[in-house]
Amino acid sequence: MTSLVACAPASLALSLQVAGVVLLLFLVCGIALGYLLSQPIPLRGLLDAIISLPLVFPPIAIGFFLLMAFGRHGAIGGWLHQTLDWELVFSFQALVLASFVAGLPLVAKPIQSAIEGSARDLIEAAYTLGKGRMETLILVVIPVVRRSIVAGLTLGVGRSFGEVGITLMLGGNIIGSTETLSLAIYNRVLDGDFDCAAKLSMLLGLVSLGLFFLLRRLGRL
Amino acid sequence: MPDLQATLSFARKDFALDLDIGIPADGITALLGPSGCGKSTLLRLLAGLETPHQGHIRHGDRIWLDRAMDINLAPRHRRVGFMFQDYALFPHLSVARNIAFGLRRGVDKAACVRFWLDRLSLRPLAERKPSALSGGQRQRVALARALAAEPQVLLLDEPFSAVDFSLRQELRLMFQEAVADAGIPVVLVTHDLEDVRQVADRVGVMIDGQLRRLGPAEDVFARPGDAEVARVLGWPNTLAVQAWERDTARGAWGQVAASLDPLMRPPEVIAIHPDGPTPTSGQGLPVEVTRVTDMGGYHALLCRLADRSPLRIHLPKSSPVPRPGSSARLAIPRECVIPLRERSTAPNLTYPNPRHA
Repeated sequence: MTSLVACAPASLALSLQVAGVVLLLFLVCGIALGYLLSQPIPLRGLLDAIISLPLVFPPIAIGFFLLMAFGRHGAIGGWLHQTLDWELVFSFQALVLASFVAGLPLVAKPIQSAIEGSARDLIEAAYTLGKGRMETLILVVIPVVRRSIVAGLTLGVGRSFGEVGITLMLGGNIIGSTETLSLAIYNRVLDGDFDCAAKLSMLLGLVSLGLFFLLRRLGRL
Repeated sequence: MPDLQATLSFARKDFALDLDIGIPADGITALLGPSGCGKSTLLRLLAGLETPHQGHIRHGDRIWLDRAMDINLAPRHRRVGFMFQDYALFPHLSVARNIAFGLRRGVDKAACVRFWLDRLSLRPLAERKPSALSGGQRQRVALARALAAEPQVLLLDEPFSAVDFSLRQELRLMFQEAVADAGIPVVLVTHDLEDVRQVADRVGVMIDGQLRRLGPAEDVFARPGDAEVARVLGWPNTLAVQAWERDTARGAWGQVAASLDPLMRPPEVIAIHPDGPTPTSGQGLPVEVTRVTDMGGYHALLCRLADRSPLRIHLPKSSPVPRPGSSARLAIPRECVIPLRERSTAPNLTYPNPRHA
């Protein structure tokens, strides 16, 4: 029997690191975007469509377009390379971007729905009581929709753990460098090492379940 | 005491609002109107929660909105106390913290909260969450929260609608006492005539996004101006006139004589005041009595006219009362017949119109 560490020595730590950074990004951007989407802002429909795209568009295709945009010769990647001498693709940051793009709609949309469903009057009440948008977000929206926030974060981080398509394209699946736990399972199956693949799948499932119960417990507070 | 003046044009897909209104800073102004007439939208426009396509809002010397000059103060800068129909209490905060939510910097928060808890008899509920309150208690918390923020204008959207009938009287009194010495414009939107009769000093009637009548409550109820407004104000017995023969109005319901100004174009509607008609054995309007109700000081008769349209009349206890199901004739004194236009051509506003003030 192959030991779990020998199956994918760095993958679990890498996946946890990516999930940790993505969780922080979701906490800030997911809540802010969910709040923005619930407000009557200009170009709301366009913003909503862009954020929701990963829900309906094949991940491998999204990964391809991101690779084209962020590659050395892409519009954004070229600019990053020329001005900052920095290459995003095949890096840790590329894994974070892949997980962030894949999980963002799962965080922002439930928050948007919760605000539209139960917090709209409360937001307006806060405005008439002298509060601005940021104070209203912190004092009213987040406490009122905290269960939806936790649900969104659970889904988003869970999605980031399981992300393969976009990660494969942007991260490059480099063993020992950008091989996440999900990609490690994929690679072991390709190698015919089903013993390792089964162990890693169990591990991925247990970590995801642990995260789910932890966040659910936090949501009850 | 600064008053509130607004000239507003607002349109949505299936609704348009276009009006001038002036709200003085003393007493309570009630806005009445059928559902969908724009009462709540007007409150939201005044509070800054909606933006009109054209318009101007001035509070005293301060301009809140001027579309021509691109001025549009955010709700938080207007200092409006807004009481929502469902109260919009913050569910995660206690009663005391709800009241403290809008207090301004420099205010002794604890003392202010104590004051409003006592003023609206909420002290025993201070630490409860809104989910543990009854409808009446929530209404009082919402009012306390709105007033504690020291608003310059108080706007109330159907404040009594979610409260049991038995509690309404008590809450109306409490509301009147709480806002009596506020010295700010107070606008109350309601569809309940009892709210208006009991708390309003002035009444505005809105129909189809327009303010059709505004004036002192007694004056508006006594002289609605036209038939549409009269119906909103609960006037019974408005009957369409098909033809006038000198001073006699005729319709499928029958005919009655009225005092008619010979210089006026004959009006399309008459209203019969319920307190004048009496049963007669001679000439009169034929009716079928369908129901008699003892109202304490008088009898209320619900009758059907010849075309089956309803007619309600009040008879003193001393008068003989026809039996339900019987046919009768009613003598209708001329002074009880009020000729009305179906719709007046110009709004009847007794408060200075901001466009012409």
